[in-house]
Amino acid sequence: MKQYIIRRLLQMIPTLIGISIIIFAISAMVPGDYITARANPNMSIEKQEQLRSIYGLDKPDYQRYFIWAGNMVKGNFGDSMQHKQPVTTVINTYVWNSFIIGIFALFFSWFIAMITGIFSAKFQYSFFDKIVTLLVFICMSLPSFFIGLLLIKFFALDMKLFPVGGMITSGLNARGWEYFIDVLKHSFLPIMVLTMLSTGSLTRYFRTSMLEVIRQDYIRTARAKGLKERTVIFKHAFRNAMIPAITLLGFELPGLFGGAMILEQIFVWPGVGHIYLNSINMRDYPFMLGFTIFLAMLTLLGNLLADVLYGIADPRIRLK
Amino acid sequence: MTKKWNLMLVLLLALTVVLSACSGDNKKATAPETNKTKETVDTTTPVETPAEGEQSSGLIKATDASLNPELAKNRKDTLIVGMTDPKGVFSPLFMETAYDYYVNYSVFDSFLQVKADGSYVNSLAEKIDVSEDGLKYTYHLKPGVTYTDGSPMKASDYLFTMKLLLDKSYDGESDPLSYHIVGAKEYNEGKSSDISGIKVIDDNTVEVSLTEYSALSPVELGTVYILPESYYGKGYKQGDLSSVKEFNSKPLGSGQYKVTSYKAGQEIVLAANENYFKGTPVIKNVIFKTTTDSTNMAMLQSGETDMDNINVSEDNVDELKALGFLDINILPNNGYGYIGFNHKLKKFQDPKVRQALTYGLNREEIVKGIYGPYADVINIPESKVSWAFTDENIEKYDFDIEKAKALLDEAGWVVGADGLREKDGEKFKINFSATAGNPVVEALLPIMTANYKELGIEIVAETLDFNAITDKKTAGNFDMYFAAWGLTPDPNNTVYITKGAQNDVGYSNAKVDELMATGKKEMDTEKRKDIYKEMYQEMNKDIPVIFMYQRTNMTAVNARAQGFDISPYKDFPFSLHQVELQQ
Repeated sequence: MKQYIIRRLLQMIPTLIGISIIIFAISAMVPGDYITARANPNMSIEKQEQLRSIYGLDKPDYQRYFIWAGNMVKGNFGDSMQHKQPVTTVINTYVWNSFIIGIFALFFSWFIAMITGIFSAKFQYSFFDKIVTLLVFICMSLPSFFIGLLLIKFFALDMKLFPVGGMITSGLNARGWEYFIDVLKHSFLPIMVLTMLSTGSLTRYFRTSMLEVIRQDYIRTARAKGLKERTVIFKHAFRNAMIPAITLLGFELPGLFGGAMILEQIFVWPGVGHIYLNSINMRDYPFMLGFTIFLAMLTLLGNLLADVLYGIADPRIRLK
Repeated sequence: MTKKWNLMLVLLLALTVVLSACSGDNKKATAPETNKTKETVDTTTPVETPAEGEQSSGLIKATDASLNPELAKNRKDTLIVGMTDPKGVFSPLFMETAYDYYVNYSVFDSFLQVKADGSYVNSLAEKIDVSEDGLKYTYHLKPGVTYTDGSPMKASDYLFTMKLLLDKSYDGESDPLSYHIVGAKEYNEGKSSDISGIKVIDDNTVEVSLTEYSALSPVELGTVYILPESYYGKGYKQGDLSSVKEFNSKPLGSGQYKVTSYKAGQEIVLAANENYFKGTPVIKNVIFKTTTDSTNMAMLQSGETDMDNINVSEDNVDELKALGFLDINILPNNGYGYIGFNHKLKKFQDPKVRQALTYGLNREEIVKGIYGPYADVINIPESKVSWAFTDENIEKYDFDIEKAKALLDEAGWVVGADGLREKDGEKFKINFSATAGNPVVEALLPIMTANYKELGIEIVAETLDFNAITDKKTAGNFDMYFAAWGLTPDPNNTVYITKGAQNDVGYSNAKVDELMATGKKEMDTEKRKDIYKEMYQEMNKDIPVIFMYQRTNMTAVNARAQGFDISPYKDFPFSLHQVELQQ
């Protein structure tokens, strides 16, 4: 197992090099740079050239790639042009806020999807199944900005249950438990919307997987042995149905840190999503490239994690 | 399987980057034009639009302050200002976005400060002596000014700040090399460890010598925000600003407020500076809270914020008025929208063609369609509240299709067999580069296409990302496009002078060049007025671009906060210390 993990980690190196070349090439091909994106009406040509040479934007693309990649290897992501701070500091400042709503939404959407998935499968084509399917598809198909604004209108403006946006109440200066409750209140609506959006597809996934397992011979055997239906469904069927879901879990890893661009914008959540979007619009190359590489690494790690867990969960699969 | 996955991942990532690059919207946070000089015009005078007979700029007072939400009423010593999140660059050296400017305006001071009418008054300076040739400025600092850590401000701090700005590794947007200070270049290149043109005479006096002056010099030199050397200078060595940048999140100045906490993307908490040299600010705490376009109105309504910038539209104005407890300021934006031509192309070189394209475009319909009464069609590139604005002998180019047709005929473009105009075998076709997702372009294109079709001109539009259009402009590979320029308080700029840094359209007019150069060297505002009047009249005839509109900005302030002095030139932080909360 150890050997397998080490080999997989080593394999990541060429993959990352490939990824870095592609994203760098794309960023270099996209028209404009930070100076043109700023569109400062007062900037003289000399000043523009001076800035480009300080940022290294005047060098040919291949040279810029090697300088950038060389720094990345040393762990130096460079300074964000917009924030005038090291990229790693900027990521660290914002990414944990995205993580908070990401992890809760992940937990709730998996929990809800498992329950509804199992029951939908158990009572296939029943009234319950149809209602769940309908709800799930409604949640999936409504755009997040629409649900978001709708919930703000109902819960924040009309019922005044939750704040409109942000992460903390300004001027409250809460500490400890009070602070926790305050953040919880603010995060409720964004977590709810994010959960609604991702529960849909997961429910369908679990339902299908469950349906497949329920028809297996060993389930029939279990029932024939006279086991209670609860034991059959939750112990025998459910466990087996969950194995393919491990792969999905691995893919959730980058999503936890990637932030939700639109959602964060609507709820004024200080996550990394809109910082990333801004960096693309403003051609803030160090941040844009650094964060993309960060997400790529997480994706690769998530992939590895899924494969390893798969081996643990299902002894029939041997990892070599 | 893993190999396949890896490949897919790479593709997926690549796609993500491409797609997100395409989807970027183009609302640029343009830096507020660094306040340059200016003079008079009462900006709070309501301007009536005859069509609606409704107030379309100025102040709309709150009708019923008792409707104030409990949340706001209970906040007795704190003002919450909603705004887009700053980037956390709390240093006057490196700030770029308007929102970082707002924080820095509250924390730092300079010798001069802008007034509502765009002119300047002494702030930190007690007195400024200017030599007769305009090349020597002596600043006398007010005595007893201290920074918020208690240390006294010295005239040498001005020299220190200038050194930082002129450092070789300086990558902010200020351009102090263009101020022509004696010895600035030597310091920048590392040939000298001092700036010979800035002499500290005593603790309260500093003298600056220039090699050449311009009308902008007093303001450029006077609005340098002074940083304490005792704090920022700790690790600074010539040629390396990294130690100074580390203080970006922990600013220290002499200003009205000091930053007590900063939560990135959430809020900046400011506390009053009790020893502020203009008197202790009335409101103890001010919080700049992050808001976005989609919910900033809801936050004002619920009382979570006391003040915010709301997009101007008839619906939004009505909604804010209906809330009743907000004072609404509608002020002309420092900027204008225009349609650029490529002057390098033969078809656009004839002024008659450019005039015809202006007469033949129903600008009124386009502008009213987007902004309702909250924007004006313009004919010169100047704000209607600027001292340099003129409407004397300015042709209004009202929509007149017959006149446009006549002008095109005169220019030799005749209607061909297929209904399109042609000259020397070339058909009149215009490729229009349209910005993706820009509401103005969406309203403009259909009207323009229809109007020009009537003239016998075909419009072919392609939609591109903002940066892609900028690239095309720089490369000169375009026919026409729509964009907007920011306006500085001073009319001097390089947008319309031959080979100017911002002259992407390739416009060249000897008379405009000459008048712009004369205006820059003239120190007397009355004389400058005449110079720019003549320049604008020339532009009005020559049509460098089709001028479209000047729109407005709207700031809504909870009526419990009184005392703001806001104008298109004076941003809200400048009057923050005199604002009080009514209980």
